[in-house]
Amino acid sequence: MLIVDLGFYSDGEMLFSYLLQPLNDNFYIEGNIVNGYLIAYLALNTLWVHIPVLIIIVTTHIFSGEFELGTIRVLLTQPILRANLLLAKIISMIIYIICFMIIVSFFSLVPSVLFFGTDDVIVFIDGIQFIQESTFLIRFFYAVVFAIISMIAFSSMAMFFALWFRNTLTAILLSIGLLILFTLIQTFVLGIFSSWQSFLFTYHIAKWQLFFIDEIPVKTILNSAFFLIAMSIFFIGLSFIKFNRMNISE
Amino acid sequence: MEILKVENLSLKYGNQTILDHVSFSIKNGQIIGLLGPNGAGKSSIIKILAGLVFPKTGKVYLNGKLQKKFSDLRKYCGYLIDSPSSYPYLTAKQNLNLIKRINKSDINLDNLLVKVGLPEENKKKVKYFSTGMKQRLSIAQALLRSPEILILDEPFNGLDPNGFQDVLHLLKELNNNGITIIVSSHLLNELEQFADSFILIHNGKIALEICKETIKESKKRVAFTFEKNPSGLAVDYITNLDGIFDVETKAIIRLKPNEIAEVVNNLVNLKSTPVNVETLTILQEQYIEITA
Repeated sequence: MLIVDLGFYSDGEMLFSYLLQPLNDNFYIEGNIVNGYLIAYLALNTLWVHIPVLIIIVTTHIFSGEFELGTIRVLLTQPILRANLLLAKIISMIIYIICFMIIVSFFSLVPSVLFFGTDDVIVFIDGIQFIQESTFLIRFFYAVVFAIISMIAFSSMAMFFALWFRNTLTAILLSIGLLILFTLIQTFVLGIFSSWQSFLFTYHIAKWQLFFIDEIPVKTILNSAFFLIAMSIFFIGLSFIKFNRMNISE
Repeated sequence: MEILKVENLSLKYGNQTILDHVSFSIKNGQIIGLLGPNGAGKSSIIKILAGLVFPKTGKVYLNGKLQKKFSDLRKYCGYLIDSPSSYPYLTAKQNLNLIKRINKSDINLDNLLVKVGLPEENKKKVKYFSTGMKQRLSIAQALLRSPEILILDEPFNGLDPNGFQDVLHLLKELNNNGITIIVSSHLLNELEQFADSFILIHNGKIALEICKETIKESKKRVAFTFEKNPSGLAVDYITNLDGIFDVETKAIIRLKPNEIAEVVNNLVNLKSTPVNVETLTILQEQYIEITA
């Protein structure tokens, strides 16, 4: 994040004056456009690919790592329920995701605000959105909470793959493959698949952005949150069924 | 008294039958050797007893009491399954502490490390351990619950002769302290050194059950190899002992262990000194015959 801050510090003004050039013909923009809040918002765009990848590298290993080390045999020969062991692992996964997102948010926001100060934010989502400085922090907070729900849903799917294949790399590649594939479908072939897009988890994961629309579409965001929670429950449920019936034969 | 009784154990993976109605029982304080070639089904039995694999059919009794599930045995048993497994980035004591906390055990880890011969490895990470040390650590993990039965799958794999002797000595000591031990191995000679009773598994079935006393009392198959054809008198002598000639220079006789030296002496006196004498116990002979 510090590197991103440094980049904006050196070339941010030039970049934004280029991007906002068409607006300058019609609007008089006053104040600090390249401010800490804008950079914090831009940093959240790592939620598309970077953050999911960094999260599932660890969360898949929480599960399949035990198979790879052979320590699953040691754990499952202790007098504990398999369901309890899986539950403990899922709780670890959720704690990790929350901590990770708090750290990412902190380093997105605090250094940017310290270096660039605060002001209103101009973002491009369904057109130009002007976010008042006073509402930014609460929007940012809700976006991060939504991102945590998204990442739990994505990690739950990766966890299921990790249990199914008992291999970290396969689970990571498959999860990232689906993330990229669904994002591509959503981005480039929307016309053909427009009626399907609400079934793609990537469509819902991206809804954190809606917190940065002037009038927040609460219903749309709640629908996506329910989809992601249902997805988490589905994959966690499947993982419990799989893990409870799994023969540890190798 | 029977500590463990297994009835009608069957296991299938798809269409492949791994275990076919296996039943056996084990007496308290015994060391039982589960024998068989690779893929015979020994490890599957151990994994079912550990609750890692779910059988198609089967019942298990502990001290005469029927257990609801095989995994219920875990409270009373310690396990070493396949290769030793522990967290490589932790020390031996940290690994043990993790399992201790899961078990809510109050066992003294320093004493346990001394018991398994790892007293000075407190600060060394497991990734730097030799196979023998890892094996001893795995046995320590299995002992954390002070188990009534210790179930070990191939505990001698990858051990050098010194490591083997160390583990063997440790298992004997544990057995002397009253722990019943079930050991699976494909290393017949090694297992024969210390087990009280043997169960030979072949193609998922029990092919042979035999105890140490029966092996001791039974005659051995002794093969005498001669450099050249033995003398006529020696041939008559061997024939009188119900011996048979495998080839002209190799005679096979069944003898009790204390008779072997006498027969060798007599053959020397008959001008037919054997250049090699190979003995097979009844267990070894049956093992070869059944698994060939």
